[in-house]
Amino acid sequence: MIVGAKNTITVAVLGIVLATVVGVAVGIARLSTNWLVRRAASLYVESLRNIPVLVIIIFFSAAVILTLPRIENSIEWLDAIVMSNRGTWVPTVVGRDGVGAFWIAVAAGVVIALGIAWWRTKRFEATGRPHHRVLWTIGVVAVAVIVAYLALGQPLVASLPERTARSVTGGRVVSPEFTALLLGLVAYTASHIAEIVRGSILAVPRGQTEAATAVGLGPMQRLRFVVLPQAFRVAIPPLSNQFLNLTKNSSLAIVIGYPELMRVTRVAIGNGSPAPQALVLLMVVYLALSLTISAAANLANRRLELAGHR
Amino acid sequence: MTNHEAMIVFEGVDKFFGSFQALRSVDLTVGRGQNIVVCGPSGSGKSTLIRCINRLEAHDRGRVVVDGIELTDDLRKIQVVRREVGMVFQQFNLFPHLSVLDNITLAPRHVRHRPKAEAEAEAMELLERVRIPEQARKYPGHLSGGQQQRAAIARALAMKPKVMLFDEPTSALDPEMIKEVLDVMQELATTGMTMIVVTHEMKFARAVSNRIVFMDEGEIVESGPPETFFENPREERTKRFLSQILQ
Amino acid sequence: MNAPPVRERSPIRWLHANLFSTWYNSALSAAFALLLGFVAYRGLRFVFVTGRWEIIRRNLTLLLIGLFPRDESWRVWAALFLVTVGVAAAAGALRKRALVDTADELAPASPARRTADTLRRAAPLVLLVVTLFSLRPEPLAAVLVAALVAVAFVSWRAGVSLPARRVRIVVAAGVALMLGALLLLSAFGGVGWDRWGGLLLTMFLAVAGILFSFPIGVLLAIGRRSRLPVVRAVCTGYIELIRGVPLITLLFMAFFVIGFLLPPGTGRPSAVTRALIAFVMFTSAYIAEIVRGGLQSVPHTQTEAALAVGLQPIPTLRLIVLPQALRSVIPALVGQFISLFKDTSLVVAIGLTELLRVAQVLTSQGDFRGQQLQAETLIFASFVYWVGSYTMSRESQRLEQRLGVGTR
Repeated sequence: MIVGAKNTITVAVLGIVLATVVGVAVGIARLSTNWLVRRAASLYVESLRNIPVLVIIIFFSAAVILTLPRIENSIEWLDAIVMSNRGTWVPTVVGRDGVGAFWIAVAAGVVIALGIAWWRTKRFEATGRPHHRVLWTIGVVAVAVIVAYLALGQPLVASLPERTARSVTGGRVVSPEFTALLLGLVAYTASHIAEIVRGSILAVPRGQTEAATAVGLGPMQRLRFVVLPQAFRVAIPPLSNQFLNLTKNSSLAIVIGYPELMRVTRVAIGNGSPAPQALVLLMVVYLALSLTISAAANLANRRLELAGHR
Repeated sequence: MTNHEAMIVFEGVDKFFGSFQALRSVDLTVGRGQNIVVCGPSGSGKSTLIRCINRLEAHDRGRVVVDGIELTDDLRKIQVVRREVGMVFQQFNLFPHLSVLDNITLAPRHVRHRPKAEAEAEAMELLERVRIPEQARKYPGHLSGGQQQRAAIARALAMKPKVMLFDEPTSALDPEMIKEVLDVMQELATTGMTMIVVTHEMKFARAVSNRIVFMDEGEIVESGPPETFFENPREERTKRFLSQILQ
Repeated sequence: MNAPPVRERSPIRWLHANLFSTWYNSALSAAFALLLGFVAYRGLRFVFVTGRWEIIRRNLTLLLIGLFPRDESWRVWAALFLVTVGVAAAAGALRKRALVDTADELAPASPARRTADTLRRAAPLVLLVVTLFSLRPEPLAAVLVAALVAVAFVSWRAGVSLPARRVRIVVAAGVALMLGALLLLSAFGGVGWDRWGGLLLTMFLAVAGILFSFPIGVLLAIGRRSRLPVVRAVCTGYIELIRGVPLITLLFMAFFVIGFLLPPGTGRPSAVTRALIAFVMFTSAYIAEIVRGGLQSVPHTQTEAALAVGLQPIPTLRLIVLPQALRSVIPALVGQFISLFKDTSLVVAIGLTELLRVAQVLTSQGDFRGQQLQAETLIFASFVYWVGSYTMSRESQRLEQRLGVGTR
C-alpha cells in the first residue's frame, strides 16, 4: 500500500509539474501573433480535450509497450538510452568518494547565487540599471558546479545503461506503464491547462494592456508586470481543479497495470482482504490528497486576492 | 505655424475599422503648449483621433507626426513616441495588483531606468500635486473614482511626457468627483503642457482651452478659439450639437 | 472620401504579417510548418493507405451496439428516431425562446449565411457518418439516416413555430420521448439494458446518468444551503467526499459493494445498473456544486422581493430563485454532461462492454489476433468520442453566447 501511495504521489507531482509547463506554453502559443503557431496549438488543444483521458493513456501504453522491442533487440539511443518493452533505461549519476563534499559545494554555490541575485536587485533599485538576475543566478550556480566537480576530482560518474544478453545493467529504469501513464496524463491535462491559461489572459481587461502600452512598457514588460500577474489570479481556481483531476486520474493506472494505489488495493482485495474496508481506505487516501491540494489552492487564492474584491 | 513649433501634425489621415470609416481626411496641427479640446457626438471619431497619436490605433492613410517623429510600423519610433506621450483613460485603468506608488513608478523604473529611491520621491511629488499623497501605499481598489483618476494622471506624468492625452477623463465619475479631476487638469494646463482633451465638459473647455475642435462622423467640422466657437459657430452641425449639449 | 480600406489584402502581405514578421517568427513558422506537414502526412497516410481498417469494417455493428441481438436492431433505429424528434423539437422551441428574449440584440443573418453556419456546425457529425458509410456502405442504413435528418429538420421547425409559452411542454415531451425510447429498447419483448453494448451503452450511461443525477444534484445543492445543521452537514459531507475521490473508485465500490447493501430477496442488480448508480452518485455531487454556484449568483434581493409579495419560502425557491439559478449555469451543466460522456469509458475497468472495451477486445478476436491492430481500433474509438465531445462543446459555447446576451 505504501509503495502504491508513493507511486501515486510521484506520478501526481511529476504530472502536475510537466502538465503545467506544457499547458502554459501551449496556452500562450494559442495567443501568438504567428498564425501557424496558433493553429498548431489549437489543434493540440481541441483534439486532446475532447477524448477521454483513459483512451489517451491506453493509447500511449499501447504505443510504448507494443512498439518497443524485447530486451534482446532493444533500441539504443546515442549509447545512453535503452528502450525495450520491459522499460526504458536512462543514464543516471552515481557518487564516488568525495561526493558529499561536492554536494556541499553545490549547495554553497546556490546560496552564493541567491546572495548575488539579492545584490543585483538592490543595485537595480539604487541605479535603475537592469539587474539580469536570472542570468547571474544561473551563471554562478553553473560555475560553482563546474569548479567543484573539477576540484574534487570528478566525484560523480555517469552510469550508462549497458545491454547484456538478457537484461540491462547500470542506469535507471523507468517502467513502460509509468511512462505511458505520465505521458497520457500530461498530454490530456496540459490541453485543459492551456485553455485555462488562454482564458485567464483574455480575462485581463483590454484597458490594462492599453494603459501599460500608453505608459511606455514594451511587450515583454507588459506581460510580466501587468498581464500575467492578473491572469495568474484568475487562473488559480480552475488550475487547482485541474491538478486535482490529474491526481484522481492517476488512478486509471490500474487499467494499464501500473502498480500504484488502485492496483495494489485491487490485488489486496483479491487476496482475501474484505473489499469495502480496502476500498474505503483507498478512498481516504485520495481524499487526503485532494484536500491537501484544495487547501493549498485556497491559501494561494486568499493571499493573492486583489484589494477591494473581497 | 512652422513645423518645428508644431507638436502634433495630422495630414490627410484616414482610419477604417473594417469597412467603417472612423476618420475622414483629418488635418490637424497642435502647437507646443497648446490646450485642445475635442468634442462631438459619440461615434464621431474623437477617441480614435487621440489613440492614433500614441499608436494605440494605427492610421490607414495620411501622416501622423509627433514631436518630429512620424508614426509608421517602425516599432522603435513608436516606443519613443509612447514615452513622450502620456494618456489618461475614461476607465482609469490603474493596475489593481500594484499599490498606487508602484503604479506610478513602474514605467519610470523599467523604461527610463530611474533608481527606485528617485522614482519614488518624484512619484510622491506628483501625488502631492494631484493632492492624494496619503494614498501612496494603498491599492486602487480602495480609492474612490476621483482619486483613482488623479492617480492615473500622476502615473502618466511620471514619465515626464511632452504631450498629455485625455480620453473622456471624467465621463465615468460621479458628479461630485468631477471637479477635483478638472482642477488638476486646469493646473496642468497652466504649466504649459501640450494637452488634447476629449470631453463633454464645456465649462472646462471654455475656461481652459486655446482651441476647440468639433468632430462629427469622422471629420473635423469646425475648430476655433472658445469665444468664437461658442458665440458664433459657423456650421449647422456645430450649432445643433451645441444646442443639445448646452441645455 | 468614402473609399474602402487602402491596405490591399494580398496573400504576400498576410504571410508577412502573420508568419514572418520578425526573424524568430520566421524560424517558428518554418519549424511548425515542417512539424504540421509531417504530422499531416503521416496521419493521412495512415488513414488512407497503411491503415488496416478491415477490423473496424467487420465489427462496426459490434462497436455501435455491442451484443444487442441483431434481429431486434430495429428497436435501436426506432429509439433513435424518437430521441431525434424529442431533441430537435426541444432545441427548436428553446431557440425560439432565446430569440424572443433577445430579439433586438441578435441581428438575423441571411439564409445563405445560416445554412453555411449550420453545415459548419454539423461538419464533425457529417464526417463521422461519412466514415461509417465508407467502411460499410449499406443502402438501407443510408435511407434511414436520410430519413433521420429529414425528421430532425421537421421536428425542429415544429419546435420553432410553437408559441413561446409552450416551451415547457415541448421540453417535457422531449424527456417523455426519451423514456419512450428507453421502453422501446428494453420492454415489450425488448432487450434489457444489461445486454446493451458499444456506443449504445455509452450514450445510455451518459444520458441516463445525467437525467437521474440532475434532480438529486439540485436537492443536494438546496440541502447544502439549508438552515438545519444535520441536513447541511450530510449534504456537504456527501458532496465533498464524492468530489475528493476518483470516479473509478466509486465504480469499484458500486461493483463490489452494492450487492451487499440491498435487502436480501431482491436480485443482484446487473453490472450496468451498478455502474449507472456509481455514475449518478458521482455526477450528482458535481451538479450540486454547479447549482450551488448558480443559487449563490441569484441576488438576494430576488428572494426578499418574493417574500415581501407574500410568497412562502418553498414556492419562492421553486418559482423565482431556482429557474434563474439553473438558467445561469446551463453551460456548466452541459460541460458536466460532456465530462460524463467521456467518463463512461472508465467502465472498462469493471468489464462493461461499451465503446472503448469493444475496441479493446476486437484485437483479440481470432481473425485479428497478433496483428497489432490496436492503433486502428483506438483511433476509431477516439474519433467517435471526439466527434461527440467536440460537437457538444461547440454547441455549448454557442448556447453560452446566446444566453449571455439574453440574461443581461
